[in-house]
Amino acid sequence: MEKVEHVLIVDDDRDIRELIATYLQKNGARVSKASGGREMWALLASEPPDIIVLDITLPGENGLALCRELRAGQWRTIPILMLTALGDETDRVVGLEVGADDYLVKPFAVRELLARIRAILRRARMVPAGFERAETPQFLLFGDWKLDTVGRHLIDCEGTMVALSGAEYRLLRVFVDHPQRVLTRDQLLNLTQGRQTEPFDRSIDLLVSRLRQRLKDGAKDPRYIKTLRNEGYVFSAAVSPQEGNQ
Amino acid sequence: MKVSSLLKGPRTLFLRLTLIFFAGLVAAQYLTFYATMAERNDVQTTFMISNIQREISTAVALLDRVPAAERPDWLPRLARRNYGFILGPGVSGEAPDQKLSAEIGTAIEQSIGQRYPVVVNAVPGPTEHLQAHLKLSDGAPLTIDIRPLAKMPLSSWLPLVLSVQFVLLAVCSWFAVSIATRPLNQLAHAAETLGPDMTATRLRESGPSEVARAAKAFNAMQDRIRMYMKERIQILAAISHDLQTPITRMRIRTDLLDDETERGRFQQDLREMESLVREGVAYGRTLHGAAEVPRRIDPDALLESLVGDYEDAGAKVTLSGSIGAPIVTRPVALRRILANLLDNAIKFSGAGELTTGVLTDARVAISVLDRGPGIPADQLEAVFQPFFRLDTPREGGAAGGNGLGLAIARQLALAMNATLELKNRAGGGLEARLILEKPV
Repeated sequence: MEKVEHVLIVDDDRDIRELIATYLQKNGARVSKASGGREMWALLASEPPDIIVLDITLPGENGLALCRELRAGQWRTIPILMLTALGDETDRVVGLEVGADDYLVKPFAVRELLARIRAILRRARMVPAGFERAETPQFLLFGDWKLDTVGRHLIDCEGTMVALSGAEYRLLRVFVDHPQRVLTRDQLLNLTQGRQTEPFDRSIDLLVSRLRQRLKDGAKDPRYIKTLRNEGYVFSAAVSPQEGNQ
Repeated sequence: MKVSSLLKGPRTLFLRLTLIFFAGLVAAQYLTFYATMAERNDVQTTFMISNIQREISTAVALLDRVPAAERPDWLPRLARRNYGFILGPGVSGEAPDQKLSAEIGTAIEQSIGQRYPVVVNAVPGPTEHLQAHLKLSDGAPLTIDIRPLAKMPLSSWLPLVLSVQFVLLAVCSWFAVSIATRPLNQLAHAAETLGPDMTATRLRESGPSEVARAAKAFNAMQDRIRMYMKERIQILAAISHDLQTPITRMRIRTDLLDDETERGRFQQDLREMESLVREGVAYGRTLHGAAEVPRRIDPDALLESLVGDYEDAGAKVTLSGSIGAPIVTRPVALRRILANLLDNAIKFSGAGELTTGVLTDARVAISVLDRGPGIPADQLEAVFQPFFRLDTPREGGAAGGNGLGLAIARQLALAMNATLELKNRAGGGLEARLILEKPV
């Protein structure tokens, strides 16, 4: 890691807090700990972190409310990773709606947590300095398609839902977030996989072809994802946000 | 078999009661009719005999007084519907053996026997027929020829009245019995529809007091069952929910362990616990969670992305066939059903196959196949029960049995009006077949 991350963990369970902290510290991160909203605000004021890991169920003001406040105030640029209860579909959706960058379902492997933290930070760093990070709208429009960032699926012009696998969604999300930019296979791998494991160049090509299939995009003359020989891929469609429902 | 079932009588309570009622009423009706007729005949006979006695003694006295030459002229005038007079010795024969004839004979003897010696005898023939012989005071023989009318003829409208009565009896029995058995049918229907989704119809608590009481009791029982079920699910969900925090702690602790082999073992155990907890929460949710709204989806994209997720996780899952047109369904539920089935296939055979195809215009099928050990034929339905364990454990399914995966899948399939069935494949392995109605 080129830079030591500063992670703020907000969780009311002392053991979980300490254990996550120990693991992250072992892996070279700097960690602050808060048991709830009050401690979090105090820590933010003294030493703003690079990322906040926020539990959704907190005594008093819960994680969702804190997330909303964070997004509305001066700390809106700090990425947030939400920790949610098991399979709480509604909490997850609401969590993403109030502005969390990602979520992780308890119980999780700390390794996964670290990978997610790093992926979010990498994404955040790709936003050029000085730009305010914009809140992600629920729907992103491009060409004939609408991407639902909460449900994590595509909707075609007739309103039919087209499902995406987790990897397909992450890849499409990277493209849609960086339209008209050349992205190398390494960059794509970095941004989608989260963890930097063995080089997996072929899998990106495979994933792109799967994604093209979903988008009903031909490999010969693709409308959305264009191949640049020896360079990588570029998402060539214009993307515009759509607020609210449908 | 047939004979014994005939001996036992009809199967339905309705038919049995109707038959008993009807037979009883018909028997009672017959007895009444019989008694009335016997009484009528009795009166009629007594009346006839006293008439004969009186008229015959008068007629004989008259014939005795008129000169012998005038007698033939009187005969037609003295004759009646059931007797007449003959001047002559008549036919002789045996004493009357029939009851009515004997009574008439005795009556004649009583009325005129003191003045004239009378001999009564029967005349053989197809109908009852008797003659009484006497000698008038001038010595001329006289025969009284009697053809007793056994019974007064029945009125022509009587059969009509009787058949109307029969119909009335039949209708009344049918009506009464159907009133009595209808609540039973309703009760059975309500009990049958009290399914796992706990949306049984409530019985109307009205009608006759016994029926109302049974309905009330049944509804109360339904409420209790619903409450127990809810409680059970809530307990399951609460335990599952509260286990998450300790499991999370343990997972992180094991991640921090230095010993590689120990870490692997702990993580394996924790994964099993975790999947049980996950299923527990999911099961609670499927049983009383808000239903997902059906929407138009591309089913092939859903299947392909599902397979993609499994491939990315390193599992061997293949897909063959396609549906080719959008369907309206609940995508999250459908995904969950298929994921549960695929998880089972992978658990028991290390790999899963998805095949799909259009059955008819209105139905599509999606099958999850494996080449695992299969399930004994008599337990194919039972494995849908929560936490069901096979008598002969399948290899690989060590700790958790079948857990809740199939129960959740069945529950979700029911809720989206689909059918989910298991069957063993030719050549080994299991096929789980989901059939979706396809409202476009």
